[in-house]
Amino acid sequence: MIENNIEKLLKNKVSWLADSGPAEDIAISSRIRLARNIEGVPFPIAASADNLQHSQSAVEMALEKSKSIGGNAFIFRMDAIEPIDKQLLLERRLISTEFVQKSKGASLALRGDESIAVMVNEEDHLRIQALRPGMQLQEVWDIINRLDNELERQLPYAYDSKLGFLTSCPTNVGTGMRASVMLHLPGLVLSGQINAAIQGVSKLGMAVRGIFGEGTDNRGNLFQVSNQSTLGESEEQIIERLDGVIKQMINHEKNARINLLENNQYFLLDHVGRSYGVLRHAYTLSSEEALNSLSGIRTGVDMGMFSSVDLHTVNELFLSINPAHLQRFAGKHLDSKERDVYRAALVRERLKNLNSDS
Amino acid sequence: MLCDICKQNEATIHIQEIINGEKKTLNLCGDCAAKKSKNDPAFDIGGFNLAEMLYNLSENMEIPGLKLPEEQQEKAGADDTAAKLSCPGCGWSLQGLRKTGRVGCPQCYKTFRSVIMEALENMHRGKLHVGKKPGGSKDDESPRKMLELMNLQKELDELVQREEYEKAAEVRDTIIQLKESLKKQTGGKSK
Repeated sequence: MIENNIEKLLKNKVSWLADSGPAEDIAISSRIRLARNIEGVPFPIAASADNLQHSQSAVEMALEKSKSIGGNAFIFRMDAIEPIDKQLLLERRLISTEFVQKSKGASLALRGDESIAVMVNEEDHLRIQALRPGMQLQEVWDIINRLDNELERQLPYAYDSKLGFLTSCPTNVGTGMRASVMLHLPGLVLSGQINAAIQGVSKLGMAVRGIFGEGTDNRGNLFQVSNQSTLGESEEQIIERLDGVIKQMINHEKNARINLLENNQYFLLDHVGRSYGVLRHAYTLSSEEALNSLSGIRTGVDMGMFSSVDLHTVNELFLSINPAHLQRFAGKHLDSKERDVYRAALVRERLKNLNSDS
Repeated sequence: MLCDICKQNEATIHIQEIINGEKKTLNLCGDCAAKKSKNDPAFDIGGFNLAEMLYNLSENMEIPGLKLPEEQQEKAGADDTAAKLSCPGCGWSLQGLRKTGRVGCPQCYKTFRSVIMEALENMHRGKLHVGKKPGGSKDDESPRKMLELMNLQKELDELVQREEYEKAAEVRDTIIQLKESLKKQTGGKSK
């Protein structure tokens, strides 16, 4: 495994943003994470330093032995990397906000293409995640299920025949599975239907959140829909139900866009046009303004208004404009104002070929 | 991040409201969320109310003489309260569980079983794991089918109550089929 090579990671093409997937005009990516723990070892919240080290080396060894995350994998020890690089891993959706605070005893193992990540000693001993572009929960489940089987041959999992996989938080017990799809829903937001849609989804027992999980807002019209319940249903049943709910949401979004085009065309064109203006001509750009304008451009690309720009270029910008990425690209620390200038320059450069067809 | 209301405890619940297109984020600790959900009916996010669930959880743990698993009851003695219970596996206490919403080790699920089981009912769609088992197999299909049967029965009752007889008939047929297949399975096993 390659240790602590952020530079190499930064050069990666981020598969879940840059590659094509089903229904990618609205569904950006599909993710599943499994929470697993080692039998007989205290969970990180109650663990001593020795316990943490023990579970860390046990998991790292199992990953190495099972070869389940591939030959050119990365491993990052959280006590050996800079705070800004933790932020960078967070922006790439490879670690959680909670994990950013972790240091000794915590590590992150990654498949070379970032499609699989294993957080060691987050809230649970293992948080395994698989991430693919577009709407493909079933495929993601197949990938992560196989990996989980391989790891389980090396590690005795904490399991109870009635309660399933035992986790530090009882909200994860059972399958330990959280499946989610990231959706871009400008049509529902612009037409004022998003609130009703979110409430409808909540009533079906699913959660809707901002892009970086709990406690973040919905900048860029990006929403993450996931299952709440992990007990009483099989993994396949959860995925099937979630899949159904998300397909409905995608249909609502499509209808909302058609409706806007038919009944409120200038409002929609204005939204896309202003976003175009900002991204092409601004010299300072806050993170929020950038995300919202990128959402506008993405809407325009989806509707065929900009044939010269690829959807994936816009997707990748959603990642590149984040603070830690900007500073890594710049190769130095940038304060908030400097970042806004650098961000505007980066966006202008990347979108220089963006020409409005109309 | 500290709780918006008491500004003392770590906020563990983040709630977003969109009112007339304006976003509001509320960051709360478990205690304040529980209080708020009690006083503010609009706080119910439909079907799954995390705050209410936490409230129930914390309330349960404050009741002295809460029913404990038998072996714990013997150990603790009749006068002891549930609040003094701690896990022999990791030393985790009920207070720890209440404060963080987390347990300390796999054994905690046995130690705090009665408290956890009640909370689980509010969190999840069922009380029994029907998914993957270590070893990757799901050889026994019957728990899943039993569960489905229970859900369908409930649905049938509701449909009849709402006088939606056509749909009720469909559900009834599914129930009959499911019962048949369960009979075959369990019958096959016992003979």
